[in-house]
Order: sequence, then structure tokens, then C-alpha cells
Amino acid sequence: MFSSLRARVALLALILLALVLFGAGCGDDEPVRHVDLTARERGGPRPDEHVITYAYLPQYSHTVSYRRHRRLIDYLTRETGLPLRQVFPDTFDEHVKMVERGEIDISFSNPFVYLRIAKSGARAFARIVEPTGKPDFRGQIICRKDNKAITSLEDCKGKRWIAVDPSSAGGYLFPLGLFADHGIKASDFSELAFAPGPGGKQEKVVLAVHAGQYDIGSIREGSLGVVEGKIDLGQIRVLATTPAYPGWVYAARKGLDPAVVSRIAGAMFKLDMSRADDAAILGAAGIRAIIPARDGDYDPVRRLAERLGLD
Amino acid sequence: MNRLARLKFRTKIVLGISCIVLFTVLAVAPFVSRMTTSALVEESKRRGSALAENLALRAAEPLLANDLLRLKNMVDELRAVGSGVVYAFILDDQGRVPAHTFTGGFPVELREANAPTDHGVSVQLIDTGKERIYDFAASVIVDGVALGTVRIGLSRNLVQQEVRRLLVGMAMLAGGSLAGAIVLAALFASGVTRRLNVLRRHAEEMVKGNLEMQTGDLLSRNCWEIMDCTLEECPAFGDAGRRCWYLAGTLCPECSGKHFPEKLDSCRVCPVYRENRGDELQDLAETFDVMALTIKSQIAELRQAEKSLTAQQQIMRTILNVTPDLVSLLDAELKYQAVNVAFADFVHLSVNAVQGKTDFDIYPPDVARRRVLEHRAVLETGERIQVESRRTTPDGPRWYHTVTLPVRGREGEVVGVLRSARDVTEIKSYQEQLIQAQKMESIGKLAGGVAHEINTPLGIILGYVQLMREDLPEGSPMAGDLAIVEKQTKVCRKIVADLLGFSRQAESAKIEMCFNNSVRETVSLVEHTFRLDKVRIVTVMDDRMPIIYGDPEKLKQVWMNLLTNARDAMPGGGVITLRTQLDTPAHLVRLYVADTGSGIAEKDLARIFDPFFSTKAVGEGTGLGLSVSFGIIEDHGGEIRVESPVPETFPRALPEGGEGGQPGPPGQSGQAPGIGPGTLFIVELPLTHEDKIAKPRIES
Repeated sequence: MFSSLRARVALLALILLALVLFGAGCGDDEPVRHVDLTARERGGPRPDEHVITYAYLPQYSHTVSYRRHRRLIDYLTRETGLPLRQVFPDTFDEHVKMVERGEIDISFSNPFVYLRIAKSGARAFARIVEPTGKPDFRGQIICRKDNKAITSLEDCKGKRWIAVDPSSAGGYLFPLGLFADHGIKASDFSELAFAPGPGGKQEKVVLAVHAGQYDIGSIREGSLGVVEGKIDLGQIRVLATTPAYPGWVYAARKGLDPAVVSRIAGAMFKLDMSRADDAAILGAAGIRAIIPARDGDYDPVRRLAERLGLD
Repeated sequence: MNRLARLKFRTKIVLGISCIVLFTVLAVAPFVSRMTTSALVEESKRRGSALAENLALRAAEPLLANDLLRLKNMVDELRAVGSGVVYAFILDDQGRVPAHTFTGGFPVELREANAPTDHGVSVQLIDTGKERIYDFAASVIVDGVALGTVRIGLSRNLVQQEVRRLLVGMAMLAGGSLAGAIVLAALFASGVTRRLNVLRRHAEEMVKGNLEMQTGDLLSRNCWEIMDCTLEECPAFGDAGRRCWYLAGTLCPECSGKHFPEKLDSCRVCPVYRENRGDELQDLAETFDVMALTIKSQIAELRQAEKSLTAQQQIMRTILNVTPDLVSLLDAELKYQAVNVAFADFVHLSVNAVQGKTDFDIYPPDVARRRVLEHRAVLETGERIQVESRRTTPDGPRWYHTVTLPVRGREGEVVGVLRSARDVTEIKSYQEQLIQAQKMESIGKLAGGVAHEINTPLGIILGYVQLMREDLPEGSPMAGDLAIVEKQTKVCRKIVADLLGFSRQAESAKIEMCFNNSVRETVSLVEHTFRLDKVRIVTVMDDRMPIIYGDPEKLKQVWMNLLTNARDAMPGGGVITLRTQLDTPAHLVRLYVADTGSGIAEKDLARIFDPFFSTKAVGEGTGLGLSVSFGIIEDHGGEIRVESPVPETFPRALPEGGEGGQPGPPGQSGQAPGIGPGTLFIVELPLTHEDKIAKPRIES
């Protein structure tokens, strides 16, 4: 009798266990949102936006460009009350063309590009003080540290050269000038290539030399710091540095309201590295300060371009 | 439950394992299904999240550049490449949709259906009415600023299809497992039940008495093969049927000298044990074998002991049954436990019938009461009782010498009574006869003394009678009377002389003597007396006068005994035939003594020469006569034998009026007595000298 009772209790326990396990295996309690996909929106003409477009010459990727200049644009919008918006041309040429077409109101470019947009009537109104503390900057010629074949500029003859862009100042124009000073012409290289676009061209040059795809590369001074962390900079040797030329320049397109330019320039000049808020803005943009500029400041560059026949 | 209990063990195992597998499958399947579904959904969510995050990262550049083509390509590629991607679209920071994969316009409601969270990708299940979709929303963030949102829709139906496929697979796997479990359980149960059946059959055979079966499987490698052993004297060597760890006295150096199971302690490290030990069933089977062998040897020992016991019992029973004594064993309640055949015959019951009975069941009340009193006395006192008692039986009164002994148990207590009764009637008779013989001897001596005393007066009487006859003239009446007196006196003197001669204690002295004369002298001694008893003696002597070497006095005693015996056999009178015969070729001389009495019963013939054997009434004979005669004849190198009845071929003198035989001498017969079958004694004595044989002559 006892064993029979025990057996029944055991059987009941097993059935209960099975039910519990079965119950545990069921159920679907995920919340559901009902959406009617049939209600569609038809694309209409976007309303015309009256904004002042701000473009940073795409020597870096768009995100880097955005990251560098977002705070500055926010500051300028806040300071001037003008609706500023950063736009991102993919290439140097596009940048130039957008300025020419009036799609970029405020252009922040290198001196070499500035020479091109200046031809379309754009005029410089401000220039920056480099992180080095000088209002000018230099180009650098780099190679792999373990490349024993290249110890001097003369060794670069017959080698493969990658430059940033035909429109690049520090990454092409200044080094080309330096080579020219040493009697080396562009045709003396076995190969002269430019970093593929769009954006991030300075980084691409460093990466190409680091990867050994090219023997030498030309970048603007300070670009190595941008790729720090991506590659081992110990593998890169700076072969030569070009003479300093006037730095990056803010230019207003032809036809932009001088009052607007004035308000923007004023706000720019007010930025002071000694103030923490301003220092954050300037630091992100890689700028020490913004100082007034004139077109004539860029004559040394203009002359170099002319000398090299690149104007 | 009873029906379950009646199922075969094999079915139970299969059923049990199937139930376990089925239960496990039923219990686990929903759980696993849910877990799997959950895992698949989670995986799907992770995949969607990864796709969304990836798209968000890639969309940053074109979103900044407002590159609608690149954005459109991105979402289209995602939809084309990512399986289960129902839609993908990108929202900019203004909430506009620069790129989407929908045809026919962007669904308005979808924009607000989901939004990224601060933690990253947000997953929202949405129901479009046609299907359910997981919507993934990821922010496009650059420098901590959300440039826009990417949204991807993954079909939940696909996930469910995957889940269903998985469940079907699991169901098939479970079914396969169940089938496999049933097959394996059947195989396993078959193996187990086969071995159990072997055990059962072995047990049945054991019940039948067959202990020769081998239950355990034979080994692939035996102990002597594993150990490379050559010790043929080891009990395990060559014994493939038993495992060596069950055997005592194995000779491996590692083996302990103990018996199973103590021996196992030393076996656990032994390579033989480790290789050949089996599971519990094998252990059981092998233990079974050992048990069978042990039982077998014990049965053999028991049988041997039983045989020996039976033999001893048989011997004891034989001894007990052969003994003529009445032996019986009684327990403390005075019931008969065992008796011998003599006892059983005595009480006219079978041996088995006596067992369990009491004296009151067997004997008359008075006898039983007496016996019970004796037995109780022995039980109570523990001392033996020895009595002689006389009992009247149909064969006449018998004397018994009874010994009653206490039977003691282990502790010395009296647990029964052993009673042994011996028939001592004969011994008693011998005792009486001895007393009679002593009495007769005294009388003989007395008679000798009396005869000696009488001899002198008789001589005086005879002398005076002769003197008186001389004084009287011949023929006077007085002289005639005196002649008679003289004659009778002479008869008296001869009787007295014979009595003296018989009673004289003479030394044995053998001399050459005439056989016929010896016989004749004895006859003349008794002839007169016998005639008074109406017994006539007829003598037929061999006239060749055989001479023998013997003791005349002793031989005369023999003849006297034979004659007296013959006379006593004819109380009503009769004829005694005495015949001597010389058998020259055999160098023998014979004496035949035949009477016409009632003869001797055949059963008594063999005992006739035994001492104290007598058919006469007590007090009439000592039973020593023939015995003494036998001894004397034997002492003479002769032989005495008896035949009864007297053979027809023997010429026997018969009383007058009788038939056949040689007629006796006239004038010697009295009244015609009855003629019986008679008894013939034949005495043979060796001749001494052949040349002493004289010429034949006949005397009567």
C-alpha cells in the first residue's frame, strides 16, 4: 500500500514537473507596435534654405572635417546670429567649383586652393595661426624609416611619390617647390600619384608610404599627428621639411554680403585661446587663433605656383 | 500496478527507458524550443543591430556630404544582400528621409515607430498587418552629435521559419533518439534478461539437483595466460570455469591466502582481476557458480557422511538384531524409542509398531506396571537395576536376566532407559543339573560306603549258609532253602561288589582287555535289576574275541551308561539288543546298543552328548552320562554316535509279540511291552593287535 502510494506521488510529481517545464517553454510577451505601411509620403520640393554655407577643404574625411569645425560653426552661428551650415565637398576641385558656383559662402582652404578661388573673385579675410604658433605652415616629405635607399632629397629621384592632391599646398605645392629648389622635376620620379578621394587625403598618403606602396610621400606639417594611433609612426621618417608659407585662409565668395563677412570675421577674431570655451573650439579645429588677412599675404605662394607653372 | 508487475523484465526496461526519453523530450522540448527561439531572435536582433550600427557608421560621410546616391546605394545594398531585411532607410537630423528602400513613397507611420536610445540601437517589434518585423534604429553620430538615424527592418517571420525548421529538426532528433533509445534499451534489456535467464535456468537446474551448470561467461584470457603462469599445481590453473579470486589457495605471489570474499582485497590491484572482473550481473553469475560448487561439495560430503552413518546404523542394527537379548530403549516419558528384532518378536509386534508405545500398550497390566515401576526407579535414581525373573511362556517357564540402565544426555541428565533382557533358562537348568550331579555324587559315595559296610555281613551270612548246607544232607528241604539263600546272598554280594567297583575313584589305567568280556560283565551287573523293570537284554557277541587297549573300568561305565539310558528310555519295559562286531579291515570293534523305546526327537539328536542335556524330568537324570561316555570313548581314540529311530537294517531283538528282529532268548521275556522306534548307539573303538583276535564263538 505504501509503495503504491509512493509510486503515485512520484508519478504526480513527474507530471507536474513536465507541465512546469512545458509552461516555461511557452509564451511570447514582446510588445508589438502596429504600423500601417500603406500611408505613404510623396517627395515634394524641399523649401529653400537661406543659410550661409561653410566648407573646409576636404583634406581629411568628412567626419574629421565635421568634428574639427562643428564647434566653430556653432560658435559663429551663435555669435553672429547667422544661419551657418557646414557643407562637405568631396574633392579639392569640387570645393573650388562650389566656391566658383557660389555654393560655398565661406571657404576655409589652403593657400594653393585659395589662389584658384581667388581667380573667381573670392577674397581672403582671415587666416589662422597654426598650432605651432605661427601664421604659416610647411610641407613635409616622408619615407619609411627602414628605407635605406633614401637618405636625401636627391635620393628621391626615380622613386615613387605620392602627394595629397594636385591642389594641395603643404602636401604637393610646397614639396614640389622644395624638389625644384634641389633641381628635381616632377618628371624625375618614376611615379607621381595623388591620394584617392574623397576626403582623408593626408591620412591616405601617410598610410600609403607606411604600407610601402610608395617610396616617398608629401604631407602638410601636422598630418602625422592625425594618423597617430592608426599606424606606428616610428616606422615613418621625415626626410625633409619645406620652407614655411602663409597658412590656411578664410575666403568669402564673390558677391557675399561684406556685412556678413565682417560679422563672421569679427566673431572669428574674438576667439581667444586663453578662454576655455574658445580654446575648446579652436583646439578642435586645430587652430591657435584667427587673424585678419589680405589677398596680398599669399603672394609668396602665388609666386611659387607661378615658378612651378601650376597657376 | 499489478499489470505492470506482471510485465516481463525486458519489457519493463524498454518501457522505462522509453518513458524517460519521452519525458525528457516532452519536458525539455518546449524549454529548449523557447531557448532556441529566444536565442535565434536574440541572434537576429544582434544581427539587425550590427547591420544598423554598421549602416550608421557608413552613413555618416554621405550624410554629411548629403550624398543621396551613396545613401540610396547603401540602403539598397543592405536590402539586397542582408537576408530577411524587409526595409532600410535613413533619417537626417531634420527628420527627413534622404534614402529608403520603399517603392511608392515612404510609409509615414514608420518614421515614428522606433527611435534610437541613448544606449545605442533600439529594437522594436512592429506589426504591419501582413507580417511582423523587428525594427532597428541606430543613430548616426559624429563627435557626439546625431547627424541622423538609420532604420532597418528584419522579418520576424524568417526568424520564426528558422525556429520552425529547428523545431522540426529537434522533433526528428527526439523521435530518432526515442527510436534509438528503444532499440538500445531492447538490446540492453535483451543482454540483461539473457543473463538473468541463464541465472534462472541455473537456479531451476539447482532445484532439480543439477549443480554442473556454468553460468558465468568464459573468459577471453585466463589468469595463467595473463600472468604467463606455469604453476600447474595451482588450483586456478586450467580452471576456465571459475575466476581465480573465488578460489582459495592460489599460488600467485600477490594472492593472499584468504578465502573469498576476504581474498578480494588483495585482488583489486591484480591485472587478472582488473581485466576479467565484470559487472554486478557477472559477479552474481560467478558467485552463483561458486555457490553451486560449494553446495555440490557440501552435498557430496553430506552424502558421504550419510552413507557412513547409514553403514554404522546398519552395523549397529545388525548387532542389535542379531543378539538374542531383548533390547529396548525408552525415552523419559517411558515410550519405546527403539527395540531390536528379538524384543519385537517376543512381544509379537513389528519393530516399527513398538516404537512410540508404552508398556501398557504391549504387556498385561500387572507386568506393565512392574516394568514401569522399574523404569521410573532408574529414571529417578540414575542407577542400574539387575534382576532375574521367571516368566511363563507357551513354551514353558523361562528365566530372564534383565539389566535396566539409565541413558544420559550431554549434561549427564537421565534422558531414557535402556533395558536388556537375556534368556538364561539354559544356564539356570545347568545350574540345577550341576546341583543334582553333586547330589548324585554324594549319593554314589554314600552307596559305596554302604556297600562296603554291607559286604562284610554278606560274607558272614554266606559263610554260615555254606556251613549250614554242609551240615544238612543233600536234597533235604532245608538244604534247598539254604541253597536259595546262598544263591541270593551271592547275588547281593555281586551287586555290592559292582557298586563298589563303580563308585571306586580309580586312576585311568589302560590295559589290553577283552572287549566282549567287558560288555558281558556290565550286562551281568545290571541284568537282574533290569529284569525287574521288565527290560530284557539280548547280547550278540562277535566270537572272534576282539582285544582292545583300554581302561576296563571306564569302558564299563560307558556300557553301564548306555544300558541305563536304554532302560530309562523304556519305562514300560522292552528289549535291549547288545551287539559287538569286529571290523577287521577298518581295525575297529563296534558295539551296538539298541532299545525299543520311544526314540529321541530329531531336534535333540545333535545335543544328546552335550553336558547336562537331558530329556528326563528334573531329579531323574544328571544329563552327564552320555557326556561322560563321549569323553571316555574319545579318550580311547574311538567314536560314539546315535541314530533314532533304529535303522530297519539293524537286527534288533523285539519283545515277544513284536515284529521282526531277532527273537530274544526264551524264558527271559515278561509282559509284552510297547515297541517304539528305539534308539541305536554305536561305539567304535580301535583294535590294538590283530593277532589277538581269537577264534569266533557265540555267547548269549
